[in-house]
Amino acid sequence: MPVTKTRRSRHTGITLSRRAGMVFVLPALILFVIFILYPLVTALSYSLFDWTGIVRGDFSVLDNYVTIFTQLPYKDAIPNAFVHNILLFVGAMVFQNTIGLGLAVLLHRVRRFKRFFQTVYTLPYLVSPLVVGYLWSLMLSPLFGPVNAILKGVGLDALAQPWLGNPTTAIWVVVFVTAWQWVGFPVLLYGAALGGIPDEIDEAASLDGASSWQRFRDITGPLLLPAIGTVSVLTFIGAMEAFAIPYALGGSAGNPAGATDVLSLLFYRTAFESGSSNAIGTSSAIATLLFLFIFGVALLMTWLMRRAERRLY
Amino acid sequence: MMRRALSLAAGVAGVALLLGGCAPSAPVNETAASSGDDVTLKVWSWRTEDIDAYNTIFDVFEKEHPGITVDFEAFQNTEYNQILTTGLAGSDGPDVPMVRAYGQLQPNIEAGQLDPIDDIVDGLDDIAPSVLAGAKGKADGKTYAVPLATQTLQMFYNKDIFKENGLEVPTTWDEFIALNDTLLEKGITPMALGVKDDWMMPIFADIVGSARYGGSAFEGEVLDGSKTFEDPDYVASLQIVADMKKYLTPDVVGVSYTDSQVQFTSGQAAQFPGGSFEIATFASQAPDLNIGSYQVPLPPDAVSPTPVSPAYADGNFAINSKSKNKEAAAELLNWLATPEFGQLVADDLNQFSAIPGVTYSNEVMQEAWDNYQKGEAPYLLLVDFRYGDPLGTAVLGPQIQKIFMGEQDAAGAATALQDGISQWFTPTP
Repeated sequence: MPVTKTRRSRHTGITLSRRAGMVFVLPALILFVIFILYPLVTALSYSLFDWTGIVRGDFSVLDNYVTIFTQLPYKDAIPNAFVHNILLFVGAMVFQNTIGLGLAVLLHRVRRFKRFFQTVYTLPYLVSPLVVGYLWSLMLSPLFGPVNAILKGVGLDALAQPWLGNPTTAIWVVVFVTAWQWVGFPVLLYGAALGGIPDEIDEAASLDGASSWQRFRDITGPLLLPAIGTVSVLTFIGAMEAFAIPYALGGSAGNPAGATDVLSLLFYRTAFESGSSNAIGTSSAIATLLFLFIFGVALLMTWLMRRAERRLY
Repeated sequence: MMRRALSLAAGVAGVALLLGGCAPSAPVNETAASSGDDVTLKVWSWRTEDIDAYNTIFDVFEKEHPGITVDFEAFQNTEYNQILTTGLAGSDGPDVPMVRAYGQLQPNIEAGQLDPIDDIVDGLDDIAPSVLAGAKGKADGKTYAVPLATQTLQMFYNKDIFKENGLEVPTTWDEFIALNDTLLEKGITPMALGVKDDWMMPIFADIVGSARYGGSAFEGEVLDGSKTFEDPDYVASLQIVADMKKYLTPDVVGVSYTDSQVQFTSGQAAQFPGGSFEIATFASQAPDLNIGSYQVPLPPDAVSPTPVSPAYADGNFAINSKSKNKEAAAELLNWLATPEFGQLVADDLNQFSAIPGVTYSNEVMQEAWDNYQKGEAPYLLLVDFRYGDPLGTAVLGPQIQKIFMGEQDAAGAATALQDGISQWFTPTP
């Protein structure tokens, strides 16, 4: 994504003075400060104090951070939830860069019904994740759900199981449902990126005798790198912030027995359901760490992708 | 690069925005009190489903107390805590808010948002101590609210299934086991239980196990430090929970709370261990369902002398310390502590009133209430162990799920519970 270095638009020739430019930026900046920067900074400041309900107590330096790494339930819950967030990320990456990319390439080559299928794949993405989660939890219910009923109907009784009640399958259900809902997003992005690659390059390589796989590996793949980078960063942010689907499938406690717990659920429980009168302090500490982690890794990923792109072209 | 960084910041700021929801607002200067003699009291509640009933009830109050108008507002239950927190911190809050009970009430008390009412409201002494405890400050022992309702925990059963199979309500442990075995033999799921929802687990544990560990007596011993949850009697009560697994649906760990309700109301399971709050749900989901309830009989070596219905207070009405209409608010709270209001709670809200001397026209409710009068116990983890982080219920729930998955035993679950609450609980000898 090229960054415009001059304020002068090449297309219209209109020149903006610095002051006029600032005036245009101002509304967005005000909204950004009020709704994003201010809450961010307050969350950080809340995490440095001791709280009694909503009354701020003494400045406690890093006490809240020490608490969440040394005391029950946090010292067990944080690593447990963190691993699940990473699983969500890895699962989504695998799903999107195999099936998602595959579908995009397929739609690009077989142009028939392209729009129709693009719409179909994007549909789950348009439904609220809470609704998606509840629908899947109904389908997977061991009592009334059609999934187990179908498995039993075709003689696969051994496979029928309490998908969301068994800790070894529950987290994979969350991973799958998340990936299922989001697969339309990489299909769209990769589709757009594929459309941006000039056909001539492909044709030239084809004339030179490159096979279909060689063309994908040496031409399409590298040219898709910026799109893959964007998808990766957004997937990472989405996976680390995951809340709605885990909540719909396993409730705020990450049922069963914490098997589907993720960091945002832990934050939610700490902030709104814990018995602690210092809930604001500890939950702010969790939120701050989560933010710093996401922000740091997202910057790192962007930087790495940029470097890889620069080396390629 | 900066632009990218900003857009990333925008993307990830959702977490921080979530936090914004509990941002304390700065105190605002109080404006002058409204003029005139007529007072309008703002009453807030989380019972959106009861708005009509409350309006009817407060009509009665308004007729008896001319000059006071009650303006009842209800908010979404799950959002209520945040809304109330903001309301009580500002100047625009309710005069009389409905507040949570026990540990969940403490943040409001500690923040000085409520007025103590011991000297203002009459009739508090008549309320059961374990129920009134739900309206008290843990630190100062003062009463801050009038309890609204009591929830009792017991075993519900489908009368028709019992009749068709020639079964009767068990009065001894052997009969209880025989009953469940017979149901199993006949291919009927004996009990519907939503193991997938952790919060239901401690409720189930107390329904089948409270009498085994000794209910109120054990409560006293744990609070004064002479016993812990690792006590053999408490472990034995969790073993009873583990032993009940064969009477639940296969794959019960994947059954949610709502699934289990449907299982019971559709006649696919004969019994449902649950709270009195289920009665209204059952009635609306399956109006023709013929249900009754009983207290689980005393298991072998039970410490309690009689079977018990564990119970807890649910909801209180308090006075906002910033209210400009405190006199009228006190008048309303006094009325909320009368049997007259208690009877309205029973008749119009279909809840067990916290005020003694109330009768229930609903047979199912009267039966559950009579049982509770015969033997009561606190729903221990809610009544006494929700005053710190982690909540007792939040620790034991997942532990019982692990028991049902075969990943934990009774003793291990008891130890985990003790370790969890030891983070904040210190006994007072």
